[in-house]
Amino acid sequence: MERRANPAFYALLVALVLMAVGPIWLMLATSLKLNVDIISGTSALFFVPTLNNYETVLCDYLWYEPEHVRRCDRTFGRALVNSLIVSTVATFLTLILGCMAAYALVRFRFMGRGVTSLTTLLVRMVPPAVLLVPVFGIWTFQYGLDGSRAGLVLVYVAMNLPFVIWILQSFIVQVPIQLEEAARMDGAGPFRTFFLVVLPLIKPGLAAAAIFTFRIAWNEFLLANALADRNTRTVPVVIVNSITEYDIDWGVIMATGMLLAIPPILFTLVASRQIITGMTAGAVKG
Amino acid sequence: MPEIVLDGVEKRYGRTQVLPPLDLTLEDGEFTVLVGPSGCGKSTTLRLLAGLETLSGGEITFDGRPISKLEPKARDVAMVFQDYALYPHMNVAKNMSFALRLSRVPKDEIDRRVAAAAEMLGIDHLLDRKPAALSGGQRQRVAMGRALVRDAGVFLFDEPLSNLDAKLRARMRTELAEMRNSIDKNMIYVTHDQVEAMTLGDRIVVMNAGRIQQQGTPEDLFERPVNKFVAGFIGAPTMNFLPARAEGDRLVGEGFDLPHPPGLPVPQGAVEIGIRPSAITVDHGAPLELRVVVAEYLGAQSVLVTRCGPHEVLAEVESATRAKPGETVRFAVDPAEIMIFDPETGTRLVPDGEG
Repeated sequence: MERRANPAFYALLVALVLMAVGPIWLMLATSLKLNVDIISGTSALFFVPTLNNYETVLCDYLWYEPEHVRRCDRTFGRALVNSLIVSTVATFLTLILGCMAAYALVRFRFMGRGVTSLTTLLVRMVPPAVLLVPVFGIWTFQYGLDGSRAGLVLVYVAMNLPFVIWILQSFIVQVPIQLEEAARMDGAGPFRTFFLVVLPLIKPGLAAAAIFTFRIAWNEFLLANALADRNTRTVPVVIVNSITEYDIDWGVIMATGMLLAIPPILFTLVASRQIITGMTAGAVKG
Repeated sequence: MPEIVLDGVEKRYGRTQVLPPLDLTLEDGEFTVLVGPSGCGKSTTLRLLAGLETLSGGEITFDGRPISKLEPKARDVAMVFQDYALYPHMNVAKNMSFALRLSRVPKDEIDRRVAAAAEMLGIDHLLDRKPAALSGGQRQRVAMGRALVRDAGVFLFDEPLSNLDAKLRARMRTELAEMRNSIDKNMIYVTHDQVEAMTLGDRIVVMNAGRIQQQGTPEDLFERPVNKFVAGFIGAPTMNFLPARAEGDRLVGEGFDLPHPPGLPVPQGAVEIGIRPSAITVDHGAPLELRVVVAEYLGAQSVLVTRCGPHEVLAEVESATRAKPGETVRFAVDPAEIMIFDPETGTRLVPDGEG
């Protein structure tokens, strides 16, 4: 007998899709509406799409001056740049430090290796909210890093490093030790063995770790809100701060939200192309 | 091409001694095979030579120069690994030239040497491929090519053929034997396969439990093994060992009564005798009567597994004899081929003139 699909199954599927796509659709639709359309509520589905909101957000970077923008507010544009710089630099630093630390933990024997390896993850179990107050205190009063992008980068690197080390450890373990021995016989020192032989083979791990780190740094709100100042605020902070008691410009907020979503998507697409299996195929007899 | 001397070389991991002090001299330009069962320390010895392990004691010298503290690259050695260890992200040419590129050899020199090695190994059409796109035999050739282009003084092989199927292994063995003659280098080859050892080695070093049992030419080991271990390890099918008593000029045991081999001193009391399966022939007039349990047909030859009292005896006979399981067959043993071992120490009883 042919199996009939249960209608309830489809209903559930549709509900799940709506839950997943609905908010994004709402955000996209709102970002393309004029404020008149947003407030009126009557034209929820039928409206003339406009790029006005996007022009407002990006007014600083456009080659023309949009007519409807009377005074160009640079906040959103600046926040996008801040987010990009902070996330990229944090990702880059985390990966460099993470892969070297992971390699050392996997391959070198030193005192406290086991403890270090375990505690890296332990650090990860502390929620950022707990860290907020001490980090704010130390960054502000000890190092004077408050309000700087470097301060944000530093805290993101510290936050993501344990997990990245943990991910990369599992990738490095899979690199056959014979390859490193072969490299050693070929005359490569530890650094060249690492950079020329091991690193190319753990690219998938690096990509996974990069996606992870970038998204966390990109979306992070709590610490950024506490540490950044007017000039260094990242997009999530700016969005929240733009909701004031006097005015909520939904169109602009949604447009910023859409712009906020684009870089991680692009980044994930590019990075995930590196995530292919079988990197070590052909290295040694399986 | 240095003369390599291992002087009291030993290796311990913590308290576990994996290699008791070992003395070994490897002559210039020789193809030496270290052979023994797994865990006998042959691979450890090779890795100590390569510099992948550090010595716990003793010293290794190349032409009198101590090298045990040197990094592998300073030792002028090249190594072929058991499971190839090719760099999967580099193509064949890059794999082979890795060492040369690291030591900044000029580009045209690299190309020339890679091309020469590739042609010698018959892999010149594969230079652009990645290891994943190669068959097992091709990978093995690339691994050898990588060692060849180095032009090092010493070549180390760590069971390079053990991952290949039987047919390919036989072919690579022949090619290696050819290569051995054209390359005038010190080669040290580790294997657990006595056939490889016999066919390739100028000199074979038989090891067991970290100790050298015997070293010599293949003929030495086969015809004049010093003890039961070497006699049992070298030669296929393996030698038959039977406990016996020396009674006058006869060797008597359960189910057999054989003449004493000529030229050997007559021992007293209990001995262990060794007979190679090839020394046993079917002879309907002979006194030795054995029941065939299994007949392994191999083509021209058959190996008969027979029962002799409580012991199993292998006989390698012409297949034309057509012995079937369950039958009782009469066998003759060439007395000159019988070896006598001390049942306690395992050492072989030698004629007065020898050893």
